[in-house]
Amino acid sequence: MKSLERSHPTVTLLYFLAVTLPVMLCMEPLLLCISLAGALALLFSRTGGRNIRTLLYFLALLLLIALVNPLFQHDGVTVLFFLNGNPVTWEAIAFGLCAGAMTLAVLCWFLSMSQMMTTDKYLCVFGALSPKLSLMLSMALRFVPLFTKRMHAVRLAQRGLGLYRDGTLPDKLRGELRVFSVTVTWALENGIHTADSMEARGYGTGRRTAYAEYDFHAWDGALLALILLMLALTLCGLLTDAVAVTFYPALVRAERGVLAALTYAAYTLLSFLPTLLTVQEKIKWHFLQSKI
Amino acid sequence: MALLTVENLSFTYAGEETPALQDVSFSIRRGEMVVLCGATGCGKSTLMRLFKREISPMGEVSGEILLGGTPTASLSVRESAARIGYVMQHPEEQIVTDKVWHELAFGLESLGYPRDAIRRRVAEMASYFDIEPWFDKDTASLSGGQKQLLNLAAVLVTDPELLLLDEPTAQLDPIAAADFIDTLRRLNRELGLTMLLIEHRPEEVMPICDRLMIMEEGRLLAIDTPRRVMETLGTRPEILCGMPASVRLFHTLGENGTPPLGIREGREFLKASYANDVRALPHEPYTHGERVALSMKNVCFRYEKTGADVLRDTTLEVFEGEILCLLGANGSGKTTALSVAAGLFKPYSGTVRVFGKKQKDYRDGSLYRSCVALLPQNVQTVFLKSTVREELADAGADPAALPYDLTHLMARHPYDLSGGERQLVALAKVLATSPRLLLADEPTKGLDANAKRHLIEIFRTLKQNGVTVVIVTHDTELAAELCDRAALFFRGGIASISTPRAFFSENRFYTTAVSRMTRGIYDNAVTQSDAVSLCRQNGRRGGAS
Amino acid sequence: MIVIQNARLRSFLRILTLLLIPSVAVLGYFLLRGTGYVVTSVTVASLSVVLFLCGFDRRKTGSRRLVLVSVMIALSVLGRFFPLLKPVTAVAVITGVYLGMEAGFLTGAFSALISNFYYGQGPWTPFQMFAWGILAFLAGALARPLQKSRTLLCLYGALSGILYSLIMDIWSAVFASGGFSLPIYLAKVVTALPHTVLYAVSNVIFLFLMAKPFGEKLTRIKRKYGV
Repeated sequence: MKSLERSHPTVTLLYFLAVTLPVMLCMEPLLLCISLAGALALLFSRTGGRNIRTLLYFLALLLLIALVNPLFQHDGVTVLFFLNGNPVTWEAIAFGLCAGAMTLAVLCWFLSMSQMMTTDKYLCVFGALSPKLSLMLSMALRFVPLFTKRMHAVRLAQRGLGLYRDGTLPDKLRGELRVFSVTVTWALENGIHTADSMEARGYGTGRRTAYAEYDFHAWDGALLALILLMLALTLCGLLTDAVAVTFYPALVRAERGVLAALTYAAYTLLSFLPTLLTVQEKIKWHFLQSKI
Repeated sequence: MALLTVENLSFTYAGEETPALQDVSFSIRRGEMVVLCGATGCGKSTLMRLFKREISPMGEVSGEILLGGTPTASLSVRESAARIGYVMQHPEEQIVTDKVWHELAFGLESLGYPRDAIRRRVAEMASYFDIEPWFDKDTASLSGGQKQLLNLAAVLVTDPELLLLDEPTAQLDPIAAADFIDTLRRLNRELGLTMLLIEHRPEEVMPICDRLMIMEEGRLLAIDTPRRVMETLGTRPEILCGMPASVRLFHTLGENGTPPLGIREGREFLKASYANDVRALPHEPYTHGERVALSMKNVCFRYEKTGADVLRDTTLEVFEGEILCLLGANGSGKTTALSVAAGLFKPYSGTVRVFGKKQKDYRDGSLYRSCVALLPQNVQTVFLKSTVREELADAGADPAALPYDLTHLMARHPYDLSGGERQLVALAKVLATSPRLLLADEPTKGLDANAKRHLIEIFRTLKQNGVTVVIVTHDTELAAELCDRAALFFRGGIASISTPRAFFSENRFYTTAVSRMTRGIYDNAVTQSDAVSLCRQNGRRGGAS
Repeated sequence: MIVIQNARLRSFLRILTLLLIPSVAVLGYFLLRGTGYVVTSVTVASLSVVLFLCGFDRRKTGSRRLVLVSVMIALSVLGRFFPLLKPVTAVAVITGVYLGMEAGFLTGAFSALISNFYYGQGPWTPFQMFAWGILAFLAGALARPLQKSRTLLCLYGALSGILYSLIMDIWSAVFASGGFSLPIYLAKVVTALPHTVLYAVSNVIFLFLMAKPFGEKLTRIKRKYGV
């Protein structure tokens, strides 16, 4: 058993797509709560309280969305009060809250994804689909920090020449464009060496393969199968309206049956899967360490 | 058995009249290490590129190039890519991908190798070159030496028979360069890898190479053991200046016969041939100008709040009209000190005074008007326009006021120039503000012996015109020859400072080749002319002259 | 590893994607009855990007061209980091104009993807890739007039800044309300106005000052290296 982070990148990426798909498809309050709880549990189990500030920012976004919706949406039968002659309804607030919760859940999931999916993992996934695009991405990823460093060197050099002044705003702007321009020349002119180095090492002589450090083990296959199964069960529930909810004109939740229970169960397992794996790994380490 | 055979090779670039290569013929045996020398523009890089059809320049070729008996033109591109390895001068530009492991795999990916084969080769390469500790790193975060080692490993991953290296150490500091050349020696001796190497570091490569090739204006002048080549061609000054110190001394003294090669043989030659009754030259007293051009007092600087100090209580005085060289290892803080002196970084404590006035009292960029200018290490940070003429106009430089001539370069693009010419154009832009204090960061990096000589002359002229010069350099020969004082930078401060003769004769390791060669024989010979004049004063042993 | 070796299969995939885009949009509308706007829109955006990228792998791209496009992607990403100005799309537009439509799309789409490694990936990434890419692609299609007249180029820059913002507003409106409604979209457009103006003005300033030197540099490189 391995944590989601250490599984094959394809599995990691597909997990995050699978877990966010149901909440983006359907704004069902309970499903949203499960998703949110799962996303937060994963964040905290991995990084502790380090993301509090980001989360507070996300929370503010949720409240904003929840408040904005009733200002534009006046449907719904339960009128709470009037604002500037427009009705503010409970249904619109509920809808706004759900929309906000969806935003929050998706943001949290993608926050975890950004932490887990490093650039070389994306390259591994892309490489399987198109070796050439993956190579281009890899080259561009190298150039970004390189050019940033070069721009810094150019800024210093131009200042040392007395050609870059940052007194007034137009001066600074002109200076920055100058620095950018020098960097552009530098980057374009030296590209030829990179191209030569590629040719000299056989680029373009045939079909490329894409090498990646990651192996697809049996565990990855098993985990992927589990993820897809849980997703399929959840989608079954969603598409057959087993957990349907309507907001307008009045908030109505359909009768919840066995299928609904199955849907909730499947989605709960899906949402808490990475947390379980992380915790499991931590416990194992704890025991291993106490034996050492 | 010959691995590479070149017969009557001539080459003319497309759109040009004069041939770049004329009637070049030679062959390289399997397992040989051959060094190729020649002035900039003599056609050595062109020759090398012609061996690799994927990157051959466009133009008219006649003659034959055979790799193991097969003409290279009839090799498939794939075969040529795999069988001939090619390492270039620029460590950074040759790297293609973002991760070290990916760079190692690149060549094999291009040739369409399956995953398992790539993994095996990459693992082998990383282990042999000891790349494992930085295997997962971003390529952008490596040092110059590491980058070049990675380039070498990434080329060798396809198991080439012939390795071509075009000035691979030109952009490296001396220690990284020596390591790199040592790796080459190991590859040659342990694995029998055949290599052809263009190199401007005679002290390191001459003693280990099997044969030396000399080219001049597109022709092959000689290919033979280094000793025999130097015996026949050593009398020609333009070739001699690129030779090791022992050979230069031998020929300057007017000796005949087989020259000594390297420090050890040079020392043996001196001991056997010249007396040492006069052991030292008189120490020239150090006189300096009245005014202080640059003074740093207890300067402390760090790049990040939580980082370590890069400059620790640095104290330094540079007098008007002198040339000061700052030497020291990478990361000792010498470049940082130069940047602080140029006002690019602000120290968090201590004071910097320029011509007696506190640096922070220079307002609105007045520090850079007729006062201080910095020639950056990488002159590519300077060029903005598409011709040299526009570049000079951009900085407001007057070509007539320069101590050297640039008129023949005016219409060219700065990036089409040779390294030496580029340095001169950058210097012209720097001199446009007519600075009284010129700061230069490794101005001779990557230059060949001739370009270096030219630059030394220019710095001398500037000094005569009253300009104070501070140079950060790794080049001990440059410092010994040019400066009034040399200083060793260590852990963010000046560890020692004195006149070059005293400085280099006191140093045991961090010193010139001549000083290392004459140690124990003469006391303070640090430049070639020092050694020559001491030898002449003492005369030959046994009365013969 | 699923490397698609078969050329026919790849072109089939390309046609499939072309057919998938409208069908997903239609299906999404009817099947999901309005609740699946978010998923539908993300899928459509992703598929559009895939459509443009399909076939790139098959064509032979010279190393010089590949390096050039990678360099432009990186410069475009730096454009997003640019202090004071936010010339998003400007560098990609220049790429489209001087290096062609495909290079433009690649530069636009990938600079969105890469800059999001710094700003955060999410379901909005395909939208940005599509918006950024298509604006550069169109610039490539209009290369001739845009190369000739700086005024037109600046105009296009302003327009592309505004369009980029408008396309991204669709996304934020859909995402924030779980469905598309015109008043919320308009509200988004109004609240995003400062950004829109910044993008447009930045693009204009950037293109006005940089288009000529940039163009000269690219033209020289194209001539010198035969790209």
